Amino acid sequence: MVLHKFGDRLYSGLVTTMTSHLKEISKSIEDAKGGLFLEELHRKWDDHNKALQMIRDILMYMDRTYIPSTQKTPVHELGMNLWRDNIIHSGKIQTRLLNTLLELVLKERTGEVINRGLMRNIIKMLMDLGSSVYQGDFERPFLEVSAEFYRGESQKFIECCDCGDYLKKAERRLNEEMERVTHYLDAQSETKITNVVEKEMIANHMVRLIQMENSGLVNMLLDDKYEDLGRMYVLFRRVQDGLLKIREVMTSHIRETGKQLVTDPERLKDPVEFVQRLLDEKDKYDNIITLSFNNDKTFQNALNSSFEYFINLNARSPEFISLFVDEKLRKGLKGVSEEDVEIILDKVMMLFRYLQEKDVFEKYYKQHLAKRLLSGKTVSDDAERSLIVKLKTECGYQFTSKLEGMFTDMKTSQDTMHGFYASHPELGDGPTLTVQVLTTGSWPTQPSATCNLPAEMSVLCEKFRAYYLGTHTGRRLSWQTNMGTADIKATFGKGQKHELNVSTYQMCVLMLFNNADRLNYKEIEQATEIPASDLKRCLQSMACVKGKNVLRKEPMSKDIGEDDAFFVNDKFTSKFYKVKIGTVVAQKESEPEKQETRQRVEEDRKPQIEAAIVRIMKSRRQLDHNNIIAEVTKQLQSRFLANPTEIKKRIESLIERDFLERDNSDRKLYRYLA
Amino acid sequence: MRRSASRKTGQPNSTPSLNSSPADLFRSASSKATTKELERIDALYYSYANGSSAMIDPEGIEALCSDMEVDHTDVRILMLAWKMKAEKQGYFSLEEWRRGLKALRADTVNKLKKALPELEKEVKRPTNFVDFYSYAFRYCLTEEKQKSIDIESICELLDLVLGSQFREQVDFFVEYLKTQNDYKVINNDQWMGFYRFCNEISFPDFSNYDPELAWPLILDNFVEWMLAKQS
Repeated sequence: MVLHKFGDRLYSGLVTTMTSHLKEISKSIEDAKGGLFLEELHRKWDDHNKALQMIRDILMYMDRTYIPSTQKTPVHELGMNLWRDNIIHSGKIQTRLLNTLLELVLKERTGEVINRGLMRNIIKMLMDLGSSVYQGDFERPFLEVSAEFYRGESQKFIECCDCGDYLKKAERRLNEEMERVTHYLDAQSETKITNVVEKEMIANHMVRLIQMENSGLVNMLLDDKYEDLGRMYVLFRRVQDGLLKIREVMTSHIRETGKQLVTDPERLKDPVEFVQRLLDEKDKYDNIITLSFNNDKTFQNALNSSFEYFINLNARSPEFISLFVDEKLRKGLKGVSEEDVEIILDKVMMLFRYLQEKDVFEKYYKQHLAKRLLSGKTVSDDAERSLIVKLKTECGYQFTSKLEGMFTDMKTSQDTMHGFYASHPELGDGPTLTVQVLTTGSWPTQPSATCNLPAEMSVLCEKFRAYYLGTHTGRRLSWQTNMGTADIKATFGKGQKHELNVSTYQMCVLMLFNNADRLNYKEIEQATEIPASDLKRCLQSMACVKGKNVLRKEPMSKDIGEDDAFFVNDKFTSKFYKVKIGTVVAQKESEPEKQETRQRVEEDRKPQIEAAIVRIMKSRRQLDHNNIIAEVTKQLQSRFLANPTEIKKRIESLIERDFLERDNSDRKLYRYLA
Repeated sequence: MRRSASRKTGQPNSTPSLNSSPADLFRSASSKATTKELERIDALYYSYANGSSAMIDPEGIEALCSDMEVDHTDVRILMLAWKMKAEKQGYFSLEEWRRGLKALRADTVNKLKKALPELEKEVKRPTNFVDFYSYAFRYCLTEEKQKSIDIESICELLDLVLGSQFREQVDFFVEYLKTQNDYKVINNDQWMGFYRFCNEISFPDFSNYDPELAWPLILDNFVEWMLAKQS
């Protein structure tokens, strides 16, 4: 027919025929009852497709020649369109189709099983008719209805469920919908429907969920509910600001608990406990972030900034961390494997990094290290050195050069002692002297006090001094009698022998009793010339402490009075042969000591600030006030947080000493004077 | 000038030559008048100067003041010193005397006295005042290498120099200086800072004062003290 130029008639005939045929089909579909509606529709669609196939084959010639030239719709497409217009969009079918589909979805959502295969076919039909048909006739209303459904459901759940359960339900629904799409919806709907669920079930209730009493985020954190937290993380990640909200609440919680921790006077009584608690807290949250929050870097950062915030709320944190390290290095790490030692030291370093006042830590660390080295009470030399290396890596050579100097002195002293005894073989039988020669700059400064050593010792000490100065010219030695220890063998009344480990002061006092049975305080003071407060403390530790009372005091009071009399305690007993009485262990500082240290730190900071100012001004030649403050603060950040008022004071001092001048016209500007 | 003319005359000529310009005539006429003035100025100098040191010493200044009927602690004497660019407090050298009196066109005590109001006006002009204010501080540094002035003297100086212009600020600042313990002396930087402070900062609310800026620390403390007092 086409060849004979009757293409028109053929085409229009096709249209008419098909249309009327479809109208009949439409009727039969409409007549289908209840559940059979979809089946009927599907069957007829199947038929239609088959027929369309055949028709196309038959009319192929027309399809190829007549249609392109007249720009009419090709046969197949025509068939689709006619189906769409006459069946799908027919008044009675359109609504019923949609409602049926939505009803089925609802049924499935409420737990019933539906004919998924049939659903899939119908949906496919809609897709075949064109994406816009799918979207307009199904998807859009589907999404609306779903939103309503989930709105209602989420409202219901949130009233009766706790957070963890709610999240489980939300997760389940989400998975369901995704599965639904896979099974019988078109792939393009996946994101759209999941967005609906996310919005209705999660986004709309986010804050309420997080803050839910007894089961919200904070409770989950406190109880280490890894699974629930993980679920929350995954779900909230899907919605805008979800993770942000979690992070915010977590941060303020950590800051709050941290703040309580560092300001609680009970906790502060034991520094080692205090630091251990900090480490435990850190471990706890590290675990949570690893196990539940996918090692999310933003959460790590939030954790770090929170710790940095509250650790620095307590000015004693640097001291306490140093005391913690001291305890570990003195005994805590005994028997611990090398790997575990490294782990603990790394954790200490992590706390150290949070400190703003690193120079305060340095001061205490030096004091405590000195005590450890001098009393020989370090568990592992390797552990000590390992920590020094870590500090050096973190803070640079300047920080640790003095500490390393201390180790060097210890080693050198050993060699010196060998040399001393080698050159004085006659001393082999007498008391053994061990001298540590400390280089003044490296060790914490101590004022040296008076102390009269017993004759045997002073002779020995002089010999050593002569020996040392003989081999090292240009040096000055001063005995630090307040830092030494002694081991003395004592025999008591009933013949019981003990070896006493005492401080040098205590030794001086005890040796007096070799020549006298009774001595009163004044006599002891005169003979030893030890400063009064130290002497009193020394006598107390030997006369008033149970188990260490090698001396007897009359009267038996706790305090040392000027007229008190002392005797050797012949009744002294101890189940140990070796008794330790000395007190050289590092302790939490008393209030006045703390003030003194703080003052020294402040004094030390002044030249550092000035040096920074001069450095900066030298290179910039001139700079305005705000910029100097900012630069100086930045430069000193790794050691301490510089106070702007203090910086200003230093600037003024430098102006007075003609290092800097103020610009005449712009008083905010400073200039470097070469 | 023609080469021949200069070669002919050779030496500098003090008498006006016939072919000089009107300006030259005027200048030389005034310099003639100045020579007479200069003589009187010098004479006046020697009438007050100390015989042995040939300088006007504190006694001489006191005499001058009483002749001018001005108290010797009056700020106008300081202004006079400024005009002379006098270096040492309590003393005038001949050069300084000449400089000052010549500038004031005064060669008698009376003329000098009459020149004082004009001098005051001149000093009070903003451009001059900063210079005068700065001078006042330097003038009080009596020892060599001295960089700061004690609190007592500073209070007097402040009152003298700024009292008329910034009465309230001076009074409060003086009170503060006398009560505080941090500073025993004031240096030049702080001195100049205070003048800037009086000019720029609204008083007594200090609403535009920002301690984070480059104000000397003593002023930060002063403002803090004032605000504490006011609340």
